[in-house]
Amino acid sequence: MMRLLNTLAIAALIGSAIYAYTIKYETIFHAETIVKLQHEIKLEQDQIGTLRAEWAHLTRPERIQALADKFLDLQPVALNQIVRAEVLPGKAPRVDAIGRKLEALGLAEPTNTPGDANALDAAVSSTPPR
Amino acid sequence: MDEDREKMSDGFDSGLDNKANGATVRPAGSCVQVIESLFAGIFSARLDKSAPRIRLAAWVFLGVYGIIAGKLLDFALRPDPPASVKRAAADAIAAARPDLLDRNGELLATDIKVMSVFAEPRRIIDKDEAVELLTAVLPDVDAHELRERLGSRKGFVWVKRAVTPKQQQEVYHLGLPGVGFLPENKRVYPNGPVAAHVLGFANLDGIGISGLEKYIDGQGLADLHGAGFSLTPENLTPVTTSLDLKATYAVRDELARGIAKFKAKAGAAAILDVNSGEVVAMASLPDYDPNSPADALDPNHINRLSVGVYEMGSTFKAISIAMALDLGKITLHSRIDARDSLRYGHFTIHDFHATHRVLSVPEVFTYSSNIGAARMALMVGVEGHKAFLGKMGQLSRLRTELPESAEPLVPKNWGELNTMTIAFGQGLSVAPLQAIMAVGALANGGLLVTPTFLKRGEEDAKKDAPRAVKAETSEAMRYLMRLNAEIGTAKIADIKGYFVGGKTGTADKIVHGHYSKDKVLTTFMAVLPADKPKYLFLTLLDEPQGLPETAGYRTAAWNAGPVTGKIIERTGPLLGIPPRIDLPTQPFPLLAKLGYAEANVPAHSGRAH
Repeated sequence: MMRLLNTLAIAALIGSAIYAYTIKYETIFHAETIVKLQHEIKLEQDQIGTLRAEWAHLTRPERIQALADKFLDLQPVALNQIVRAEVLPGKAPRVDAIGRKLEALGLAEPTNTPGDANALDAAVSSTPPR
Repeated sequence: MDEDREKMSDGFDSGLDNKANGATVRPAGSCVQVIESLFAGIFSARLDKSAPRIRLAAWVFLGVYGIIAGKLLDFALRPDPPASVKRAAADAIAAARPDLLDRNGELLATDIKVMSVFAEPRRIIDKDEAVELLTAVLPDVDAHELRERLGSRKGFVWVKRAVTPKQQQEVYHLGLPGVGFLPENKRVYPNGPVAAHVLGFANLDGIGISGLEKYIDGQGLADLHGAGFSLTPENLTPVTTSLDLKATYAVRDELARGIAKFKAKAGAAAILDVNSGEVVAMASLPDYDPNSPADALDPNHINRLSVGVYEMGSTFKAISIAMALDLGKITLHSRIDARDSLRYGHFTIHDFHATHRVLSVPEVFTYSSNIGAARMALMVGVEGHKAFLGKMGQLSRLRTELPESAEPLVPKNWGELNTMTIAFGQGLSVAPLQAIMAVGALANGGLLVTPTFLKRGEEDAKKDAPRAVKAETSEAMRYLMRLNAEIGTAKIADIKGYFVGGKTGTADKIVHGHYSKDKVLTTFMAVLPADKPKYLFLTLLDEPQGLPETAGYRTAAWNAGPVTGKIIERTGPLLGIPPRIDLPTQPFPLLAKLGYAEANVPAHSGRAH
């Protein structure tokens, strides 16, 4: 009986020691991962900072103006480019452009359903010769 | 076994006997024997002989501990050699600084990480070879100086700060022992010289040297660094300045064109938010690029708005008229005699646009009459004049966030003649920033708001701003400035669609103690819009030349005026004041209530002169 207990106790001891070491090494591993990730984050942040500075440098008004002068046809806002709302031309009368086009093409007449032969005949006879 | 022991004891005994005998026999001068006997004594197993052994052991231990104690003392007294390069470098590398932003969040100054090359002289084997290789890769490092630095007994020296990635690779491939890299913060100003005078700059170690950079250090940043807090850009709040980057650029661009066109020596321009006191844009030319700070030390590159002091000329007449109006000495309907030049002792005050008649108060302003302004100041008297200028902040140094400022040049013995000349802007030199603070107070309803370079709300600004003039006086001044833009000297800056009010100023420069006839300093101040003032524009040109298209005139109306007009045209839409088709019909309601109905009737060109 005592021997069994002793064996168990030793087994438990060895087991807990192994467990403790496993946890310890895992902790070290995770700590290293954290440090590595923090380093990467720092690197990324530094790069973001550098890119922000670069963006600000590339979009500085001096350069944008030079590019705008070269490629765009813009002028400073002046009074002669601004008009009152009343001066705008009134709204034109509504025009059914598609309807007019159809009329011009002679497609404005009522269409026939294929099943109705009489109606078709009537439509054919009523079509003016062109 | 027994035999062996016998022998051993015999051996010892014989030695002892020798010693014992030696004492009696003592062959003269036999050292060997003494040492022999000593050893015999030490290694003897006899108890009665153990006392010297114990004593010896005690001495040996005492000696060993003594050496240890001495060494400890030595370590404690000697300055510690740096335990590691990292620690030594922590003091040397540039500290992080907060970003500087413009009022819309655009980046004005930021830190970037760069690599710096350092060396540990003690670990370098062949110093001459190292110098040769390093200077081959880094051509702008002085070989002689580097050799000297590597020859020093320091544990850590910089070879070159802020190298490019390519140079870093090359140095790395040299494979020199004792040469390494450290990441550092480098201050960069992406916009170059735009707003350089406001931002100032920081040196390689991350310490603010001038401008807002120095101001930030004064606000506790330097203390934090000094206390050893390692600050990263992430835990520093960005500082938002009052500047608008786009407007600042536009102002600088137009000013540069103006200076080139009128062949001026220098110039400055600013836009002030009269309600909050924020300086929205400013430029002072010639300027420098804060990315190469050595240029900043050139005395020609000073900030002309805050460090330069100038006689502001006729723009000071606005202050004189406001003073006379505010103290009730005159009303807008008063008439001032300008028929003859004003004599005082040997001095005679003339008008540049002489009219030789009695002028109304608005006419004094629009004709820019020296005689009229001098007479108004005389009505107030010397003491009253001094008190008023003091209240307007013209007699003491103006302190803003910028560390660079200048004391105004006030006459030592201020008599009546001084009052007369100062009334039209001669004899008192102030910083232009100071002058626009006063004119801003005349425009914004009468509150003297101190200019600032940091973003600030209108309520904050007006909370503790002292009242300089009455609201009616302020409105009268706006009316006069508007009238001047309609029919007076500021006509050229009356940009269509903006309700501009303005005042010109041309001051003869003092050369060798005398007013020069052909060197002038011209200023122009414009308030926009004149009915509900928001911005005050200032342009200052130093020694502009007359041009054929200005009919040879070099007065402000011909150079500073049009430059201001250009600036208004360009920055108005940027600052959220687009041109208006309908100008206000009742711009000055207070004046109308006071019985000056004519203030609300636009002046026609028929009244122009």
